[in-house]
Amino acid sequence: MKTELEHNFVELLEKHQNIVHKVCRLYTNNYDAHNDLFQEITIQLWKAYPKFRGDSKFSTWMYRVGLNTAITLYRKSKRQISTQDYDGVEFKIKAEDYDDTEEQQLKVLYKAVHKLNDIEKALVFLYLEDKDYREISETLGISEVNARVKMNRIKTKLKAILNP
Amino acid sequence: MDELDLLKKSWNKPQQAHKTLSVNDIYPMLHKKSSSIVKTLFYISIAELVFWLLINAIPVFYSDEHKQKLEALYQNDTLLTVITFITYGIILVFIYLLYKSYQNISVTDSAKKLMENILKTRKIIKYYVLYNLIMAAVSLSIGFYYVLHNDVNLTDKIAHLSNSQLVGLYAGIVAVVIIFVCIIWLFYRLIYGLLLKRLNRNYNELKQLED
Repeated sequence: MKTELEHNFVELLEKHQNIVHKVCRLYTNNYDAHNDLFQEITIQLWKAYPKFRGDSKFSTWMYRVGLNTAITLYRKSKRQISTQDYDGVEFKIKAEDYDDTEEQQLKVLYKAVHKLNDIEKALVFLYLEDKDYREISETLGISEVNARVKMNRIKTKLKAILNP
Repeated sequence: MDELDLLKKSWNKPQQAHKTLSVNDIYPMLHKKSSSIVKTLFYISIAELVFWLLINAIPVFYSDEHKQKLEALYQNDTLLTVITFITYGIILVFIYLLYKSYQNISVTDSAKKLMENILKTRKIIKYYVLYNLIMAAVSLSIGFYYVLHNDVNLTDKIAHLSNSQLVGLYAGIVAVVIIFVCIIWLFYRLIYGLLLKRLNRNYNELKQLED
């Protein structure tokens, strides 16, 4: 029996699933790990959902739970077996936007981001999501100034990884 | 344009690196088992509570003779009864503290706060284990002392030992107790070390930012 709460939650998650996929994309590097992390984030979201009061946006609430799961709660599970690396996968952007050079660049960029540590990835994620430094600092529990300083350091670090 | 801005450009475009899930794909996920670190920590803490309670209780169920001895001791010794009550009281306090700290763990807190609450819970379990190890070491020492002084066969044998042999015997007993406690302590360090390695690393990274 599906309850109304379940129904509402699943509809919301289906609509906003891209947020969770994007978290998984940053923290994992193959399909199985991606699916496994997606599964765990879904469980954590569902467990926390009864307390979600709607005073913040569902998507904002998802960032927090998603990142917290990826950084802190997630333990690699035995469910992961095969490992096809994203690097071996042509992840295609829609035909009209398709640009081989851009795709290559993106691959290289993702590879570089994967070399960052968990906290740095969280900052990158929030930055890419266009969050301001106040929200970044609240999500991670650090001060705004330190979030800003760290973000600049990450940019420099990425440059160094990409242009050794 | 810097590297991240390039990534930002394609950030919201759908990619084929994952499959878009339907409502029907998501439903079964809600009821799958979580493999989160908090759940594992919870199971370990329950196992610790049960393990040490059983260690204390097994001798009572195991041997009738021991049970009778204990009953005799309890009747004669109010101090022992008081100590037992205090021991169980302490265990209850630990259970309460653990319960409260699990309740404080919320996935919607900031990353730093969430990590702090998990580490606090781990600390309570650590103190519980430490408490039990100290109690185990004390009980073992008292046990050895009791046997050496009350077992007729043994006291006879000990009477024939030279002073240096006696020192050797006591040193051996102390070594056994220390080794026992160390092995258990190392075992716990290993379990928690492995479980919380990543969390500790990330927590230190966040803390370093604020220093």
